[in-house]
Amino acid sequence: MIIVTKPHISDAEIDHIRERIESVGMRTHLSRGEVRTIIGCIGDESLLDEVPLRSMPGVESVTPVLKPYKLASREFVADRTIVRVGGRDSEATFGGDTITVIAGPCSVENREMLFDTAHVVADSGARMLRGGAFKPRTSPYAFQGLGARALELLAEVRAETGLPIVTEVMDTRQVDLVAEHADMLQVGARNMQNFALLAELGHVRRPVLLKRGLSATIKELLMAAEYIMANGNHDVVLCERGIRTYETATRNTLDVAAIPVLKRETHLPVIVDPSHAGGDASLVAPLAFAAIAAGADGLIVEVHPDPERALSDGDQSLPPAAFTTLMEGVATFARAANRELSPLRHPARAVA
Amino acid sequence: MSEPTSADTLSELARCRDEIERLDNEIIALLGKRLTLGKRTGALKRAAGLPILDPTREAAVIRRVTEHARQSGLPTEPVREIFWQIVGMSRRAQENA
Repeated sequence: MIIVTKPHISDAEIDHIRERIESVGMRTHLSRGEVRTIIGCIGDESLLDEVPLRSMPGVESVTPVLKPYKLASREFVADRTIVRVGGRDSEATFGGDTITVIAGPCSVENREMLFDTAHVVADSGARMLRGGAFKPRTSPYAFQGLGARALELLAEVRAETGLPIVTEVMDTRQVDLVAEHADMLQVGARNMQNFALLAELGHVRRPVLLKRGLSATIKELLMAAEYIMANGNHDVVLCERGIRTYETATRNTLDVAAIPVLKRETHLPVIVDPSHAGGDASLVAPLAFAAIAAGADGLIVEVHPDPERALSDGDQSLPPAAFTTLMEGVATFARAANRELSPLRHPARAVA
Repeated sequence: MSEPTSADTLSELARCRDEIERLDNEIIALLGKRLTLGKRTGALKRAAGLPILDPTREAAVIRRVTEHARQSGLPTEPVREIFWQIVGMSRRAQENA
């Protein structure tokens, strides 16, 4: 149930409405927008049958939320959510008028390659660094990531470049460790429905990058986001990264339509991973452009200083020069979509 | 990126951190006291044949702290979140008492 309040409602009236809803055992979520304020009701809606919501002072309208996701649904909040990542000096934002690009290697392999890549992507306009520490590989014999050591390297690179970092967390036992080092925690496609992990991420105060599962529907992706939000963390960025279809010419099939559908269904920012979607470096640029044309709020791109020698995902990683070219194209498509690339906040730091 | 830090600034920072640690300890001690009172309330509710869960009372507590936070110039939504946790912790302690 959502309650849209009258303009100029007083704090006391809002308090009163929330108290009445909470006194039947439900919880409320307040969203103040530029023009309207929304009180979302969370819990068993049948409990509200006896509460005369419509006649309470300050109430404009009362509408049921018919979708199974509530906190994630578009109607639950007044304005679209802007997720802020990182500290004051080097904040990256998702949502709003800008397009934010995250770039970096699939996995952190060693200090040199991480630092090289970070400087290249920062100079080309990326605003966040990605890098896997714990890698969920299909084969147990493949490179599994450097683990805690990679987290330390990522934190060192952040200190040097000012780029906030995102890295994947695979297991509830890793959440605190990863949250200690990273600015944003990524849930990989294979863990999208690991509900214990999602609930745990709800308890930490770090933004979450939630990737769509290989075979997950849009509704299932939004329900996964709902899990994180219902546990207290509302800073969720969704990521379309391709879904599994019968097509074998590409690693996955980028579901371009998912972008406008998600933007219709949810207030959360939506970004796209063109690297995993195509599984091929030559497909990254066209898929990235399609994503921006379809309304994506950002991209996450794999870049490696020497893709041929990459320990994982070399086929889909861009070499630095190709990433620079990609970013020029991204800026053009962003302008065509009435957006702009997220500006550099502290130029002196990023090139230091 | 910033001015060279003076020894004064660093010692002031250390002093602030000590003070924060002292306040954290105080908060923990107060939470302990609140929990003890909560358990006592639970026993009294049982003796009076009243249910442990009292949503009306919980909602009133939240409203009261919201108003108090607002008057004190604190952001109300985080304070509400903190107190929902405290109220929940107290209720669980009552149930297990």
